[in-house]
Amino acid sequence: MRPRPASRVWDALTSLKLTIVCLSLLMVLVIACTLAQTTMGTLGAVNAYIRSFLVWWDVPGTAWRVPVAPGGGLVGLVLTVNLIAAQARRLELSWRKAGLWIVHAGLILLFAGEFVTSLFQKDMQLSIEQGQTLNYVESPRDVELALVDVTDPAHDEVYAVPESLLARKQGIPIPGTPVELRVKAFYPNAELANRGPGDPPPLANMGVGAMVSVRPMPPEASDEAVNRRAAFVEPVAGGRSYGTWLVSNALGAPQSFLHEGHTYTLSMRPTRRYLPYAITLEKFSHDVYPGTDIPKNFSSLVHLSNPSRGEERDVLIYMNQPLRYDGKAFYQASFGKGDTLSVLQVVENPGWLLPYVSCVLVGLGLIVHFALVLRRSLRRRQAGQLVETA
Amino acid sequence: MKLAKTLPLAAFALALAAALFAVLPPRPARGFDVDAFGQLPVLEGGRVKPADSVARNSLLMIRGQQGFRFEGRPVSADEWLLDVLFRPQVADRQPVFVINDPDVLGLMGLRQTQDRYFSFLTLIPHLEEIQRQATAAQPVDPKQRTRFQSAVVNLFDRAYLYYRLENTAQLARSRGLAAELSARDTLGAASRQEALAELAFFRPLPPGPGDRADGWRGVGEALRSPPAADGAGLRALAGISSAWAAQDPVAFDRAVAELGAADRAARPDAVSRASSEVLFNRAEPFYLGMVIYVLALLVLFASWAWRPELLQPTAFALLLAGAVVHTGGLVSRVILQGRPPVTNLYSSAVFVGWGAVILGIVLERIYRKGFGTAVAAAAGFASLIVAHHLTGDGDTMEMMRAVLDSNFWLATHVVTITIGYSGTFLAGAIAIAYTLRRHLAPRLDPVTTRTLVSMTYGVICFALFFSFVGTVLGGIWADQSWGRFWGWDPKENGALMIVLWNAIILHARWGGYVREKGIMAMAIFGNVITSLSWFGVNMLGVGLHSYGFMDEAFWALAAFDGSQLLLMALCLAPRRFWRPAGGGAAEGGGHAAKPV
Repeated sequence: MRPRPASRVWDALTSLKLTIVCLSLLMVLVIACTLAQTTMGTLGAVNAYIRSFLVWWDVPGTAWRVPVAPGGGLVGLVLTVNLIAAQARRLELSWRKAGLWIVHAGLILLFAGEFVTSLFQKDMQLSIEQGQTLNYVESPRDVELALVDVTDPAHDEVYAVPESLLARKQGIPIPGTPVELRVKAFYPNAELANRGPGDPPPLANMGVGAMVSVRPMPPEASDEAVNRRAAFVEPVAGGRSYGTWLVSNALGAPQSFLHEGHTYTLSMRPTRRYLPYAITLEKFSHDVYPGTDIPKNFSSLVHLSNPSRGEERDVLIYMNQPLRYDGKAFYQASFGKGDTLSVLQVVENPGWLLPYVSCVLVGLGLIVHFALVLRRSLRRRQAGQLVETA
Repeated sequence: MKLAKTLPLAAFALALAAALFAVLPPRPARGFDVDAFGQLPVLEGGRVKPADSVARNSLLMIRGQQGFRFEGRPVSADEWLLDVLFRPQVADRQPVFVINDPDVLGLMGLRQTQDRYFSFLTLIPHLEEIQRQATAAQPVDPKQRTRFQSAVVNLFDRAYLYYRLENTAQLARSRGLAAELSARDTLGAASRQEALAELAFFRPLPPGPGDRADGWRGVGEALRSPPAADGAGLRALAGISSAWAAQDPVAFDRAVAELGAADRAARPDAVSRASSEVLFNRAEPFYLGMVIYVLALLVLFASWAWRPELLQPTAFALLLAGAVVHTGGLVSRVILQGRPPVTNLYSSAVFVGWGAVILGIVLERIYRKGFGTAVAAAAGFASLIVAHHLTGDGDTMEMMRAVLDSNFWLATHVVTITIGYSGTFLAGAIAIAYTLRRHLAPRLDPVTTRTLVSMTYGVICFALFFSFVGTVLGGIWADQSWGRFWGWDPKENGALMIVLWNAIILHARWGGYVREKGIMAMAIFGNVITSLSWFGVNMLGVGLHSYGFMDEAFWALAAFDGSQLLLMALCLAPRRFWRPAGGGAAEGGGHAAKPV
């Protein structure tokens, strides 16, 4: 009698062979990801091999992309399904196997944690100078085009256009203002230099852009290097053009134009995310061991002010000691400007607790399992001695 | 039968006696109490250490050895340091710079000969050219440098270290510290003091009464402050300078005692710690441990040919003695540094070896076949050799960078993961022993084969447990300090690879997909994975863990991994496949892979 297809699928799903194949594939992916980091940067390699369902290969000389291997996401998913299915099928629900049950539940949680992380984790940064108060964090990689109405000295009206919208190179009406931004060109990475006599005529006719030549570049491979995005935009308001401007995160000060009594500034800046509270850097400290430049300690003394919750307090953030607040964690990451600037890494990950729970489960499970095995073998030995004496 | 009891005991006692003998203080060199000078605490690299450590580490960096012969007599590191500090005209003639690279020799117009050691005097005419070449090579990423570029940068660094040492207590080729002390307000003194403060390699003067505990002072700083604040230290140092320059043993011993008293008055704890460290330096426990492990291995090999009942316990006793010395060294390091045992690549090698030895001893006590002794001694010896080759960077007890400055995580994550390395290596070592035995032993008794297989299985379980727990603890530490549990950083991936590989072995065994030979071959491959995870990923030079960076060991690693792959092939090949016929018939214990 041939087994039914459903039971064959069930056999395959619960088989130990599948577990081994998945573990082996995962190992190959991890090796490939590690080696690829030297050329693609950590983030690029992780996105290509681990946080993907398929590993793609660009066929050289063509625009084709061919999937060549399952990615970490797919393998992880299959492994998780295999783990759960095999638990359900093979491991009988008995005290004897309680340890293994807990271990595997912990492992499933660990995989779940990595899935949650890859889907929901947001990495931001807070670069703050001593004495400065900020109520936003910035993306270390993404940029936005900010149109700010600075007419009222008391507060700014900020309108931000994300990079993805700029890349479409269309007209973008800015809601709440009469302004429409027409994107004439957008470069994911570019080299900006002072215009020389041999350079082609500039696209920009207003602001510093008229004096700058823009050469498109391939995106940066390394994680540390930031892409210098550049775009040429033409603000149009009330049927009138205000010229074409060059905006880039490589340029310094914002550029401004005046429309019907309102002053607007244009700037390309790291994507901001505003916080419902403010953070002030009171003091940044950086000690080195005497007679060396080996860092001994970095710490930032910050003041946290959240009027909506009536919170006013000082927090010391230092190595291995982050501030966890409002779903975000603030870590001491870097510093600069002669030790007056502190850079805090800000991470938002709803799944941050999962690995901790999983670690406890697996540790507990292994202890239970080993204790049970030890008890069994002691009993067996005792029984053996009884037989000998008998 | 008496001999079988006394011989192991005698071997154990003799090995330990050798260790104690090494700790005894050396005889004064030419009447000078150089040893007392070596015990004086100084501040270097952010750490208070004895002058002896500075001397040994500097000489190790410059010459690759901790002592040498000059004009027909041995010169200790301490003596050499005294010459560099106070008699540079003598030190400059001593052949301390080892130069192997023919292109660098060619740069100096020298030919490669048997003698690879050169004096600073030989280098002086070429220093400018060396500096020019080194400055050109320095911007190049260390991994991209050509052999010549690496060699010339290295030589320049060593020459600069030597130059800084010469200008630590007094300016080289000046009239000495005593003269400087009496002329501190004269014309030109300020610039000389500035140069001293700039160049000094270490700080020999204890902090004053109101200073911070680590506020040790260099000679340049002391000379710049008002004479009232000198303290006894500066005058004593001047005394040492004059006495050594004049080669007056009596005055020298007196001045050293004075500086020691000044140190003791200011920082009594630093003085006692420094003298303990001198003991540790002198004992060289890891070198001695290496020798004892080799002896144990040799005795064990002999036991397979002659009187095993006598020699096997002797080998085990030697292994125990080696373990005692090794443990002693490890514990001393922990106490001296005030840190958990693993703080850098060097100490990880020492600890991996230690873990493997202890595990091997446990296995030997359980199974008593001599294989535990063999693999433990081999693993201990091999890891101490690796550690020995990782000392080239100087001080192995350097201060910890801020992110690593956490005894809790160093003690939990780093130690657990390193025990995981030990376990995986030990499983690989047993598998290698199995392979060699399978091909070399005249006949195979199935009980021993079964024992080896169950030993390997047990050790792999142990390794999986520790590497998994260590990896997860590492993730938690990363979450605490970098804001993410897991970043797919090369070092993290390396740890994950060990976990995955051990898990694959165990699942393959549970599923019955591999049997005896398969498990053994997989265990040998565990060596490859672990070596790559331990050293290989550091060579990629990416990621947050790159403080363990090293670039020269690439070929050693490649050779090791190649040898492991060969052993795997050997493990899978039929027994005595090189014999034309019938040799493979005696396959024993092939059915022994039933779960244990």
